Amino acid sequence: MDNTIKHDFEPKIIAFVCTWCTYAGADLAGTSRMQYPANVRVLKFPCTGRIDPVFILKAFQQGADGVLVSGCHPGDCHYIAGNFHARRRFAAFRKLLEFIGVDLNRLQFSWVSAAEGGKWVEVVTDLTEKVRTMGPMVEFKELALEEQWSGAIDTPELREAYDAI
Amino acid sequence: MSTQPIDTSIYTTITAAIRTEASRLFTAGEIVAIVGYAAARRKGAAQPIIITDAAAAETLVFTESCVNNLAVYLTKAKKEIPKNGKIGIIVKGCDLKALVGLMGESQLKREDLYLIGIPCAGVLASTAQPATELTTETIASKCCECDAHLPLGCDFVPSIAFPPGPQLESRYSAEIARLEALTPAERWAYWKEQFAKCIKCYACRQVCPFCFCEQCLCDRNKPQMVDTTPRPAGNTAWHIVRAMHLAGRCAGCAECERVCPMDIPLNLLNRKMAKELKELFDYEAGFEVNDTGPLTMFTEKDDQSFIK
Amino acid sequence: MQKYISEQNLNTLIDTLIAAGTRVVAPRMSAGIPLYEPLDSSAEMATDLLPRRSAKEAFFPVCEEIMSYEKEGQQIKLTDVDPARFPETVLVGVRPCDAAAIPVLDAVFSWDYKDEFFLERRRKTTVIGLACTTSDDACFCTAVGLSPVESRGSDLFLTPLEGGGYACETWSEKGEALITSNSALFSDLNGAAPMPLAAPQVDKIELNKVKAWLDEHFEDPLWDGIAVRCVGCGACAFVCPACHCFDIVDEGTEKAGKRRKSWDACGFWKFTHHASGHNPRDLQPKRYRNRIMHKFKYYDDKFGQTLCTGCGRCVRICPVGIDIAQIIEDISRKD
Repeated sequence: MDNTIKHDFEPKIIAFVCTWCTYAGADLAGTSRMQYPANVRVLKFPCTGRIDPVFILKAFQQGADGVLVSGCHPGDCHYIAGNFHARRRFAAFRKLLEFIGVDLNRLQFSWVSAAEGGKWVEVVTDLTEKVRTMGPMVEFKELALEEQWSGAIDTPELREAYDAI
Repeated sequence: MSTQPIDTSIYTTITAAIRTEASRLFTAGEIVAIVGYAAARRKGAAQPIIITDAAAAETLVFTESCVNNLAVYLTKAKKEIPKNGKIGIIVKGCDLKALVGLMGESQLKREDLYLIGIPCAGVLASTAQPATELTTETIASKCCECDAHLPLGCDFVPSIAFPPGPQLESRYSAEIARLEALTPAERWAYWKEQFAKCIKCYACRQVCPFCFCEQCLCDRNKPQMVDTTPRPAGNTAWHIVRAMHLAGRCAGCAECERVCPMDIPLNLLNRKMAKELKELFDYEAGFEVNDTGPLTMFTEKDDQSFIK
Repeated sequence: MQKYISEQNLNTLIDTLIAAGTRVVAPRMSAGIPLYEPLDSSAEMATDLLPRRSAKEAFFPVCEEIMSYEKEGQQIKLTDVDPARFPETVLVGVRPCDAAAIPVLDAVFSWDYKDEFFLERRRKTTVIGLACTTSDDACFCTAVGLSPVESRGSDLFLTPLEGGGYACETWSEKGEALITSNSALFSDLNGAAPMPLAAPQVDKIELNKVKAWLDEHFEDPLWDGIAVRCVGCGACAFVCPACHCFDIVDEGTEKAGKRRKSWDACGFWKFTHHASGHNPRDLQPKRYRNRIMHKFKYYDDKFGQTLCTGCGRCVRICPVGIDIAQIIEDISRKD
């Protein structure tokens, strides 16, 4: 049965999750047959402490419209303190992205435990719908098509690609 | 505010004092080399120099053109400097902060260094010609917000009575406030224009005392996290990564900004991060030797209002 | 051919060219610094400023696409960039030191391999040089045998005149064609004297002596002395009008991407880093030696030219104050 609604814009959401809590939580949502948007692409990491800010940057550069980073609740880290370190790092990284001019509504952090299938669904749905109303993340895509003036060949093909964003 | 001159007459006394001290150190055999400044061909210009004997002590100078942070020569990124004994280094207050950071990161040992501190009234901005008079206009932006005119904890500091200086405008704080007041789209447009100029000469990285990695993430190609070509996309990624890697470590010597041949205001990013880390974690880099920085430690009570 | 053109007519010429779809590149302010960039109108031109980067990027871009690839299943589609698409360009207000570097680049890009990207842009570009009336203490064109009125590399050369306007001299068919097709904007010279020219305060350096010394001194303590302060960035090479090393990289994903050519510099540690991990130029003095050797010996050996036009950009921007004019002067005085 297809009960999904057709939208004009399906955002691409990249989720960087830790394997011990959030990945297991997402798995629980699946085995419990909970519905959540298929927009999310999950990438599994050992720990949120392993998630380098450059991954988030790369995700946006490669066409993500929204990014989710999720791991164990404070105190539950499999490696004891990985998520505490991540918390500080992302607190700082958010401020940097904000200063560069990235809309922070596209970047969500969450703690989702292995038992919180419901919370996973809620977090993913909220982010997807929020980003859907915001529209595509054009900034990084535009950037990827730009050249230094001297290297630019302003061809119709390039113009078409640019307008297609 | 009208342009006012800044009194740099103390620099003559300082030059004489560091020459005498350098000569004494070599004669007494206390050190093997001094990293300092010497005059260059262009009128008023100065350049870094490494001297290894007392005879060369006379070439040392300190003027308003002594802009470099010499700490970069002591990092492992600079393999050309002999490290077979105690090394003397001429440091301004801002440079000393970098050394303090490097000691905290186990890159240097205090006992291997002989610190010759400079009571500093300020140096010239990169936009000023070397022979320009130091004024409230031509002074480097970092000097306007300097809180370390007199370096503390050095082995030798020329004793100088500081002449009173004019009030200086806080240029970075003002510019950060201006940018913060803009919308994200306006800020993005601002930085896009700035980063578009970047030619990836990596001068900002090469002069940074904290960019001592044997191999920079941005030079690696498996995986290629940051595009290496000087295009707007790779440039933006590079400058974001650079600012992030320096967050909590950079103490504001502003060398990155000074050396940028394209005049990208790089220190704005560093000052913004320093400001945020002060607000978030009450941390300021460069004042004491800490073996952990704000992003390599945590407390259980850290703010997580941004996390669902 | 010698003609006169007023400032106003030069602006008209530029606006006419732009209106006709020609790309006009000239010094203009761009995000706070002067650069050679395409103009939208003559009002943007700022010829009194020496651009921070040289004019070489009009032929040899900072970064350019040379090919793109797409993969679908087992099918791989490669698409070449067609140089025929490069726009017709007029470079205006090029400093003599920048213009003189163009023939230097011609030599290397049309040597054993004909670089069609460079040569096609070169073919489609008319260079209008402009004499210098000001200089600073980093300028040293006269030290390397050029001058503020050096016309080498220019198709058309402008000299500012007392009382306004320019004396306009043609040095090639391209330059003559530009005048012929816009003859209404040019008139005969009115006998006005040229403005006083810039006079860089440097002595002429005997480059043959520099080369003779370099021929014999690949190993010399001098290199350690100079380059110990070099921090290994690429700023000097990137602002240089004559440096022409480049790197080629593939950027993209396994599905699609581009092959790009971008500026590279011998100052970088990575420049000679082998895949094995070995680096023949492991320390900065060896890399800096290459910079001097290439400019004043290797290029001379191969093409009979010097790879330096004395623009002084590297002297102005070197983070650690390395002064190439001082270095070659010192070398020329050695036995």
